[in-house]
Amino acid sequence: MKKFSALLLVAAMLLSMCSFAAAEEPIKISIYYSDNSTLPFREDWRVISYLEEKYNVDLVFEPIPMTDYGTKVTNVLTTQGDDTPDVILGTNTVGGNASLALNGAAYAINSNPDWTPNFNARVAEFGLEESVNMLKLGDGNLYYMPQLFDVPFYDGGLIMRQDYLESKGFEAPKTFDDLYTILKAYKEDYPDSIPLTSIVNIYVLQRMTMPAYGISVGRSTSTGTRVLSWDYENQKYFAGALSENYKEYIRFFSKLYQEGLLDPEFSQDDAAATRKLATGLSMAVYGYYDQIGGWEGASEIEGLKLNMYPSLAGPNGAHHQPKSSVGNGIMFPAKTMQRADFEQVVRKIDEVFFSEEAAKVWCIGIEGETYTMDGDKIVFSDDILNASEGIYKYMQNAYGCGCDGTQVVWYNAREMTKYDENYAQINATVAAMGDVIQYVPATPAFDDEAAEEASLLQTALADAFFVWDDAFMRGTKEIDADWAEYEQDLKDKGIEEFVDLYNQYNKYQ
Amino acid sequence: MGKKDKSLQNMEHVKKVSFTHYMGRYWQFYLMMLVPLVYFILFKYVPMFGNILAFRHYKPLGGPYGDRWASGYKVWPAPFRYFEQFLLKAEFWTAFKNTLIISLENLIINFPFPIIFAILLNELRNLKLKKFIQTVSYVPRFVSTVVVVSIMSELLSPSMGMLTRVIDNVFGVGRIYYMNEPQYFRMLYILTDMWQFTGWTAIIYLAAITGISSDMFEAARIDGASRFQQIIYITIPTILPTIMVMLILNVGHLLSLGFEKVLLMQTSTNMSVSDIIDTYVYRYTLGSSSPQYSLGAALGLFNGVIGLILVSTSNFVSRRLTGNSIY
Amino acid sequence: MSTKMTMNNNKRRIKEHNPVLNFFTFLVMFIVVVACIVPFLYIVAMSFSSPVAITNNRVSLWPVDFTIEAYKSVYEYPNFFRAYGYTFLYTLGGTAIALIMMVLFAYPLSKDWLKGQGFVMKLVVFSMFFSGGLIPNFLLINSLHLVGTVWAMLLPYAINQFNLIILINFFKSLPGEIEEAAVIDGLSYFGILVRIVLPLSGAALATVGLYTAVFFWNNWFSALIYLKSSQYPVMMLLRNIVNGRTMIVDNGGMGEKSSLSISIKSAVIILSSLPIILLYPFLQKYFVKGMTVGAVKG
Repeated sequence: MKKFSALLLVAAMLLSMCSFAAAEEPIKISIYYSDNSTLPFREDWRVISYLEEKYNVDLVFEPIPMTDYGTKVTNVLTTQGDDTPDVILGTNTVGGNASLALNGAAYAINSNPDWTPNFNARVAEFGLEESVNMLKLGDGNLYYMPQLFDVPFYDGGLIMRQDYLESKGFEAPKTFDDLYTILKAYKEDYPDSIPLTSIVNIYVLQRMTMPAYGISVGRSTSTGTRVLSWDYENQKYFAGALSENYKEYIRFFSKLYQEGLLDPEFSQDDAAATRKLATGLSMAVYGYYDQIGGWEGASEIEGLKLNMYPSLAGPNGAHHQPKSSVGNGIMFPAKTMQRADFEQVVRKIDEVFFSEEAAKVWCIGIEGETYTMDGDKIVFSDDILNASEGIYKYMQNAYGCGCDGTQVVWYNAREMTKYDENYAQINATVAAMGDVIQYVPATPAFDDEAAEEASLLQTALADAFFVWDDAFMRGTKEIDADWAEYEQDLKDKGIEEFVDLYNQYNKYQ
Repeated sequence: MGKKDKSLQNMEHVKKVSFTHYMGRYWQFYLMMLVPLVYFILFKYVPMFGNILAFRHYKPLGGPYGDRWASGYKVWPAPFRYFEQFLLKAEFWTAFKNTLIISLENLIINFPFPIIFAILLNELRNLKLKKFIQTVSYVPRFVSTVVVVSIMSELLSPSMGMLTRVIDNVFGVGRIYYMNEPQYFRMLYILTDMWQFTGWTAIIYLAAITGISSDMFEAARIDGASRFQQIIYITIPTILPTIMVMLILNVGHLLSLGFEKVLLMQTSTNMSVSDIIDTYVYRYTLGSSSPQYSLGAALGLFNGVIGLILVSTSNFVSRRLTGNSIY
Repeated sequence: MSTKMTMNNNKRRIKEHNPVLNFFTFLVMFIVVVACIVPFLYIVAMSFSSPVAITNNRVSLWPVDFTIEAYKSVYEYPNFFRAYGYTFLYTLGGTAIALIMMVLFAYPLSKDWLKGQGFVMKLVVFSMFFSGGLIPNFLLINSLHLVGTVWAMLLPYAINQFNLIILINFFKSLPGEIEEAAVIDGLSYFGILVRIVLPLSGAALATVGLYTAVFFWNNWFSALIYLKSSQYPVMMLLRNIVNGRTMIVDNGGMGEKSSLSISIKSAVIILSSLPIILLYPFLQKYFVKGMTVGAVKG
């Protein structure tokens, strides 16, 4: 018995040596991945095993809970300890990570452009050279390979009871006045209702409506400043919180609030929003298209039908939340550079995530398994088409397609095949309206000193602004009578210095 | 005079015993302590050097102790840059004041409550009932803060809340958005704390009561003491050392409140009463656009010093008044 | 033992009656029971109800449209049970190490007259108020090469100052005469600790043990910072499932779009806290037994 097992062992060793000689050992790469609990990471996702085999790599994913992902990433970048992964997905160099990168915590992608041919090719294909350039920090280096979008998505916005609109003969709303009229009518029909709510407290609503007024302040900020806004014409920052536009904006929403048309508590989470919409307590919400199915499904109201509408026009035209064509992306911590095969690691990652073929696999899976081609048309397999949770969610859950973290190349047209006709049509309408979705201005290239000062000013200003904004909306402060006091308060807290600081380091000037 | 004499005598006694003799007798105590003490120094004191960052400029990847001494900010001299950044801010002192008020109110209400609960529980004669109540009272400790706050928001929601409706129907006060109004913030904080921690904290007192020898009650009964008198003259005095130790520790931690709960309960409207030191620190450090580690260390040091002052004062007062202290 | 206990109780009950105190006791107990049990029943009811019933406000304290779908989803959640296993490991291992360390530390420190005791006590109290912060702690654990090992979870929190002080206080309250007698009988201090002090400290050890066990059961932050995802405890998953988006970020991503249903969240809450809740009844005998001279002799 002993002899036999020894023989076996020798045979196994010989075998493994043979295979070692025959095929190159796959290169092992550890990867941090931000794990979303609704679509949790699964080790057996087919897309991953397929790509591992195809590109001869061994990808060791570390799914970190999304809630705490930022903390974990900052910690490994700061300490570069024993647990530092080779690659970090879904990260960026905004805020704290910028100073870490500037001090050598990450590999500068642009130091060897020939190692990332696929990334370069996709950037060129999408025409995003300028946007990628804007991600470079003060030292002129790019520290991560961002997600790339050819056309930004209109994936969320004003969602309303289409059945109500139809029953009352309302047209789809075009302006905020239209919205007011509809909400008012609903309130008259159902006096106990709170017609308009928003998910994630008030933030999603503010994020999606402020650009129509030419501002982005509070937590809705796209500039990361919280009290400043971006002047798209002159490409510089201005004190959005003190602008006439903001005054007009808050006047409108204050009116909604005061007439009982706006939910005073908003919806802290999806469950609260579901309760309000499914029971008819609310008829409109700022949320995401993905959520509609869940809301409708939970309702017991006959004929309840929700639909998403294009952005409303405000004084600044019809604009949605600004979106970047370059999202969070792939970073190599400095420690990875110590690997003897570092160049291979970078090349492999570039290939596995940014190559034309791999990008397609990350999005729609494997031809013959998840879809077949009918001429130019993608036809998904039956299990996918019949999935009750929708194509998009099912494909991620079952196969690992379309993960926010692993898919880095996003072709709008290809994405649309995963949704229904309606969604594609709304997106087409929005695209036809012109520049509804504006770009997100690049974060200024602060040095450490300026970053400290900016952070101190920003927190103090934001703290004050949130309180004022809330008071104006709820009517505990008068927009006209108390404006001077408000203005003085923000000036005392340094809003003017803050504007100067941002414009001084403005990348566009 | 007598007391002094006695202590002098003790001193003499100690001096007379030689070191080798003393160690020969008590070495086992020091051996017991050895591993925990080394452990303690390694895991509690070595990282503590990180506090020097309060006076140093932090450079990412430049080591945990910063790369140079902090320069002056606007008013104060060189190494106090990060202290100036909060000590001269009115908002910080608002947070400081809020913290103290919430903490003190919480201490006054929620400190005696578990003691009373433990004593009353001990008065229950039905063992099964006692065990049942004990277990049930400890369950809320395991409902995480997020869930506590979300259940509370749900019950008190102005549009859908069950409790809001009941209160409105009974008192006709209208559907108030309790979670948002500044005047209800402290009450809600304290009540949920009571709910979550009464049974949990009472365990310590229950254990202390268990330690009371039944002979003492026996003797009291023979003297004709009523049950109420037994509580006053036996139970409370016997568990007083535990009560005092807990009180000293609680006073020492007056500046630390349930951070997560406050953060979750905070709204822009109740900010004037709900902003506490911990949430202030959070917004300036982890929650800010670029985390200010040195400022965080300075705030931590400030908190620590205040805590130390509070704990030593209460320790001193307690020793003088009741003879109980933790060191 | 327990018969003796009940006999004692019976004797007391016959002798005394205080209707006011009785009424007050029962009133307080009733309020506590209702307040503590109702929210928990509510969570249990939701975990067994259909999401549609919950949404339409039809669930109160009893499941509506009874279903175990939520528990099925949790069962299918990747690695839920592996995480569960790790939680048990951390809780048992951590509590065992902590109790040994704290007993060894607390017993000498309970002797006021021991030279150096005062100084060490001051060290203990001082360290309650100053911690080093995240980075120095991480660098320490990293330099000890504990990152990515279960020891990073077990060791750094072996001594909690609060629990230590409670234990010291308990040891101090033990009658000194018994120990003195033991010294005269020629028992070593280790012997006294093991044979006399510990058997007398059931309630104290149960209290500190319970507090420590609950700490390890709930500790997710060390796991996040020091461990690999394959070693995560169940609380880490709970946090991700229940908290989802507690901390609101500027630019919403996937996390904003959807969240798990209330029934699944409720099921996770129940599953992740039930074992530790059930621990308490087992420890309760230490709280009821009482320390009598008879117990010492027995």
